[in-house]
Amino acid sequence: MRLLRSSILAIAAAAMAAPATAQELKLGYVTDLSGPLAGSYTPTWEGFDIYMQARNEDGGIAGATVDIALDDDGLRADRSVAAARKQIDRNRVIGIFGLSLSSTHAATLAETRKSGVPVVTAFSAIAEALPPAQDYYYSTGVMFEMAGEAIAELTGEIAAEGKVVGVTFDSVGGRAALTHNRLAAEELGYDWGEVIFPVRTADFTPFAQSVNEAAPDVVVGHYGAEQNLGMIAALRAAGYDGPYVIASYGASEATAAQAAQQAGSDENIYMVSRFAPASEEVEGMQALRDAAAAYGVNNPTSMHVTGWVLGAVVADALERCGTECDPEGLNAALQETSVETGGLTGGPITFSGDDHYGTSYWRLYKWDGTNLVAVGDWLAKDGLDFDIESN
Amino acid sequence: MELVINTLVLGAIYSLLAAGIVVIYKASRVVNFAHGEFAVLGAYLYFSLSQAMPGVPAILVVVLVTAICAALGATLYHVLMRRLVGRPPFVAAMVTIGLAIILKAAIVIGWESRSVGLNLTRIVLIDYGRGFRLTLIEAITIVTCIAAFTGIFAFFRYASLGRQFRGVAESALLASQRQVNINLILALAWALALGSAVIAGVLFGGRSILTPQSVFIGLSGLTAALVGGLDSFRGALFGGFLVAAATYLTARLVDPSLAEAVPFVLLLAVMLWRPWGVFGTREELNRV
Repeated sequence: MRLLRSSILAIAAAAMAAPATAQELKLGYVTDLSGPLAGSYTPTWEGFDIYMQARNEDGGIAGATVDIALDDDGLRADRSVAAARKQIDRNRVIGIFGLSLSSTHAATLAETRKSGVPVVTAFSAIAEALPPAQDYYYSTGVMFEMAGEAIAELTGEIAAEGKVVGVTFDSVGGRAALTHNRLAAEELGYDWGEVIFPVRTADFTPFAQSVNEAAPDVVVGHYGAEQNLGMIAALRAAGYDGPYVIASYGASEATAAQAAQQAGSDENIYMVSRFAPASEEVEGMQALRDAAAAYGVNNPTSMHVTGWVLGAVVADALERCGTECDPEGLNAALQETSVETGGLTGGPITFSGDDHYGTSYWRLYKWDGTNLVAVGDWLAKDGLDFDIESN
Repeated sequence: MELVINTLVLGAIYSLLAAGIVVIYKASRVVNFAHGEFAVLGAYLYFSLSQAMPGVPAILVVVLVTAICAALGATLYHVLMRRLVGRPPFVAAMVTIGLAIILKAAIVIGWESRSVGLNLTRIVLIDYGRGFRLTLIEAITIVTCIAAFTGIFAFFRYASLGRQFRGVAESALLASQRQVNINLILALAWALALGSAVIAGVLFGGRSILTPQSVFIGLSGLTAALVGGLDSFRGALFGGFLVAAATYLTARLVDPSLAEAVPFVLLLAVMLWRPWGVFGTREELNRV
């Protein structure tokens, strides 16, 4: 009897022991999958996911398969922190990727830094990634201040002079983008006007009237996809038919298409983006399209490209880190990143020990009724032209 | 001119929303906190039906959606709200708050958090110049409000059912003793309320973009109803235009970022002066 009991206990203990997860790299992904901006963040996650699925099917990375723990933060910082903690403690991830709105980053980073786990964001970025970069935080995403300055320079492709009116909602990121847009635009000789409306605005009419009254030559919208749709409809209804620039914070060619439908016209709709639209014929796009078709992602957009590029950056770091990669090793590998994206961005994604954002590339696109078409070449930004303190 | 037109249009929408809240409160002393959610749900339903029936004129789709939502309102009363008759007012209020949360989730799940435009019409009737224009949808909104309130006043003054409704509003006990079918009246109240909510939601969606966050227009409607008086249709009309004027003029002439707060400052001021609303019945305030 004693022998039987001992045997049963031994078998049970063997069964409960942590399995030798031979050749598996555990990654974490936290983003908004159900909250107000799920429509933007979900495609970014899908882009990352299909990249990793394609790599797994192709033999994995550094001889190991990638296993991703996915959690939804619903655009809330407390849920992002909880998800990060759970992924570190229970899923044993070596890195956390994605994240959602920039307002969730600081709290999440405070948690991940306790365990020395690196974070690479795909969508939004905060200034901690800029030199002198803070530990364990990297980004391939859109930094509001950088976007504002880039848009000012790219406005020259639309109008060499005149009045630019910037519009945003009352948020830290929106105001930051608007401020840097203004500083750069004024330095380039443009006249400037701006309108800021409450975040929860449902009726854009009064704000569109204020914009129209300012007699703009170009209007730039610094907010998410749904605000672009509401504002352009209201602007066109108010009688403004001039150029409208969608700053790509979660907006894609789908946003441009819907904006054109809302406006009742394909004319004068532009977008500034860090990532090529999925319709663009560049070297790296076919692999994304093939993966999208293989893994059930319909109609990929530039948001999927965003996630795909993140996947490529992470995979590159994992390759160099090796099969036995741990958080410290991954962090060290990320600091030596230089990844060519095959035209999905204007140039390589590069991180260094001091700069976790690198040179960013931005391009102006115009909606032609069917696709976003590039206007001019990529603009390279090696950093901010104006200090953040000058806000 | 632009200020006048846009204030009138927004006021018409808020008044219609307020009217729906008033009709339920007047009949049953229940404040419906889910009214904005019903309005936006109805508008999303219009969007889906109009996409599914591309050849059908918009007005017919609106009639269909209004009928569906009116039936939903009557059903909701029979299935849920009827069981709360006689309970303390806060119980029914909490139920409507729960309904609001469920409806918002239904919108998010049903339409995948998508922003949609109703694209009712882009015809411009009058164009005064840069920004000063009256579009067909704006004219329809104002006319609909006038027609709706004319119908409401006529119904409650001249229609037999309207007089019964007024009896129930005055005293449900006495009305029931006079053979008035209380449940029929209350179901009718919910049907009318949801029908008017849908119309307001569609008109709002025709002017702007619909998102799950659009449910906040319900707060504007509730504010208008409270300012005007929860049991007064005249108050709903007055409150709707007052809240719209305060919101729109603040956004345009003072500071856009204050536009959200001004209606509630107005509400506080009215509540301190006349807690039952400008045109409401002075009464013991035991409602939630």
